[in-house]
Amino acid sequence: MLVITRKPGERITIGDNIVVTVIEVKGSLVRLGVEAPKSISIHRQEIYDRIRKQNMEASEIDASDLAVAVSILNKTQSSGE
Amino acid sequence: MKILTTRFGTISVKKEKIIHMPSGMLGFPEMKRFVLFRHKENSPFFWYQSVDEPSLAFVVTDPFLFMPDYSVEADEAAKSMSWGDAVSSDLELYVVANIPRGEPDKITANLIGPIVVNIKKRQAVQMVVANSPYSHRFPLAGIN
Repeated sequence: MLVITRKPGERITIGDNIVVTVIEVKGSLVRLGVEAPKSISIHRQEIYDRIRKQNMEASEIDASDLAVAVSILNKTQSSGE
Repeated sequence: MKILTTRFGTISVKKEKIIHMPSGMLGFPEMKRFVLFRHKENSPFFWYQSVDEPSLAFVVTDPFLFMPDYSVEADEAAKSMSWGDAVSSDLELYVVANIPRGEPDKITANLIGPIVVNIKKRQAVQMVVANSPYSHRFPLAGIN
């Protein structure tokens, strides 16, 4: 991993069209600004990872579990909950 | 065209019904084509079956059935997909359901990774919803 030390207001460029600016450093929080083409998605890693993990688990879903879940949901609905 | 699937055998789908995901689903970037079909009558769910990988299928649902005031900002997604002229009636929103094996009463939906489908263009993207009050494990049966 490339490690670079930067001060607030300073930037790094990645490739030709991505610029990361250190906007503010406050205690343990660092605010970054990222400029990139709209085709490049930028996400907080932990949210991205959470969705990816949910997708992985969801792809293992069992069809008979789903059938039972539907009957549970329909029952809940018809009992007026 | 014929699609080979692990769960449903070989299914026949009109080519124009295929939904294209240029970035795939998160964690599955290589799988870029899906078909959507209803789970069964009186079910709020749909199967979201990969065209390219027979064993890959997600269960998705309409989030508004379970949370009428659910709301996400689809503008970014529309922009990243270059759907500049898309109107909201062209867009459908689905969330991915998950069931821990053998515990169907613990069915949840992931509200922070909705799939936005442009039904006119037959394209879709899975969004990453940040800074939201929503859960990635929202209980659908309301008891877990």
